[in-house]
Amino acid sequence: MGLIDPLVIAQGLLLPSSVVQSGWFAALAAFVAINTLMYTGLAIAKMLPKVYITDYDPRRRRRAETRSIHPDGPVD
Amino acid sequence: MTSSGNAGIDRDEEERELLRDDVPHRPPSAWNRVVGIFVLGSSVLAAALLAIAVAPEATPPLQSRAREVSVGIWEVFYDTQAPSYRSVLAAVAFALLIAAGVAVLERRIANRYRRSYDRIATPLAPRIVMEATRNEFAGPVTITVLIPAHNEEDCIGATIASLESQEPPPHRIVVVADNCTDGTVGIAREAGVEVFETVGNTHKKAGALNQALEQMLPGQGDNDLLMVMDADTVLDAGFLAEAARRMTADRALMAVGGLFYGEDGKGVLGQFQRNEYTRYARELGRRRGRVFVLTGTASIFRPRALRTVAASRGVLIPGHHGEVYDTVALTEDNELTIALKSLGGLMVSPPGCTVVTEVMPSWRALWNQRLRWQRGALENLGAYGMTPQTFRYWSQQLGIAYGSIAVSTYLILILLMLLALDVWIWFPFWVGIGLVFTMERVLTVWKGGWRARILGATLFPEMGYALFLNVVFIKGVLDITLRRQASWKHVTTVGGRVVVVEED
Repeated sequence: MGLIDPLVIAQGLLLPSSVVQSGWFAALAAFVAINTLMYTGLAIAKMLPKVYITDYDPRRRRRAETRSIHPDGPVD
Repeated sequence: MTSSGNAGIDRDEEERELLRDDVPHRPPSAWNRVVGIFVLGSSVLAAALLAIAVAPEATPPLQSRAREVSVGIWEVFYDTQAPSYRSVLAAVAFALLIAAGVAVLERRIANRYRRSYDRIATPLAPRIVMEATRNEFAGPVTITVLIPAHNEEDCIGATIASLESQEPPPHRIVVVADNCTDGTVGIAREAGVEVFETVGNTHKKAGALNQALEQMLPGQGDNDLLMVMDADTVLDAGFLAEAARRMTADRALMAVGGLFYGEDGKGVLGQFQRNEYTRYARELGRRRGRVFVLTGTASIFRPRALRTVAASRGVLIPGHHGEVYDTVALTEDNELTIALKSLGGLMVSPPGCTVVTEVMPSWRALWNQRLRWQRGALENLGAYGMTPQTFRYWSQQLGIAYGSIAVSTYLILILLMLLALDVWIWFPFWVGIGLVFTMERVLTVWKGGWRARILGATLFPEMGYALFLNVVFIKGVLDITLRRQASWKHVTTVGGRVVVVEED
């Protein structure tokens, strides 16, 4: 099993080291790993600048009439 | 995120009082319990499904061989095990897909209501408002500030002075004195502003504002804006000018909300809250000011919006017909935002309208404040049910619920490893992931200054803070789900006084 064996077989602080070798622990670790990766994706998305595709489409910004409280206000 | 009521030196006391059961808030409905069960249940279900899906692929994390290197005098163990590229990509893609899905759906819903022409269901939709105000000039924009105050002699003078120093200053300032027993009224009169004293109000801030608005609203023209502002709040320079500019440029705009930042001081706890607010402001900026909540700390409304809300209560939206604020809502600003959104109103929180809000001085005060916000938000969702306009708020609640599960399982895993192993093993892949999170924590509070960045860089304290907020969230959900059921309370009004009747 290699170098890790004597360390893993040794007792942990409070729990037997067999805990970390069990199937349910593996499932918990996999669940946490997937979650961590998902939140990593979201963290990266939060760091990157947000791009609005509509900014590059001038037609979308053109208004049909003025929104100003002044009836003769600018249309855009 | 919401602000709280008439803040002051006894804020902690007030927060606690608001959480007592005998204080009137939204009467429990079947929906309220469903909210809790739905939010918690669906998140647990999602987590369980994911756990079942990944379990067969799972291998114990220490199955691979840890290696040993010497770093100076230390022996360091590390394990190069890492997930496959495919699972990394799948997880990241899945998360981004959900986030993008929520964002796209929210935009589609917003656009649909923006273009709505349904006069009955969405009387505040831009097209309807524009049609009603076409070719009519209702005069230039004026701003009347309402300051609800309950024994605020310590800060009311400074608040009035800060308002008068705005360029341009508001046209009118009205202190809404609610059951004041101190010098608030005297100080306000001395400062030369109007004072409106409430009569027999038992509904705190919301009730006081309702009384004042009932008198004032009929006389307001379309462009005579009303601002509601807490007595302990200081507006940043340019707030009123920017709001007036926006309201002048867009007659369909129904409300402008303040973007709040935390005040200085209160140690590390204060910094945690400031970081949270800085991230919130950044997020709103990235949403181009699309509002989550029109904060009760400082928000400006067009009279048409408030009149329509009052007229729609009891018909299209919850509450008493004719009242602007729903007096049973625990967080009245969150409720008013959902009300305006439900009626199709256009709102914005622009970066130029910033306001400094107080931070809680102790963990207990923070607990009480957040529990109130949390309960209030859930109760409001229960009252409105699941509608297109509340979709975003529901998904936020689900997100927080799932996040609570994710953070707690992560901590359980780390704890188990610490307790079961007598040596620390580094996993380079996960250390790299940790660095990504650290970068995110630092970059998102960059504007908050070096203190904010240092706290962000330490990662784990902020995780602890997030965990604290998660516990508050769980408590709020459980309260609304279980305690309501155990002790069924019925709120009724007898002779103008609210009476709480216990039912078995």
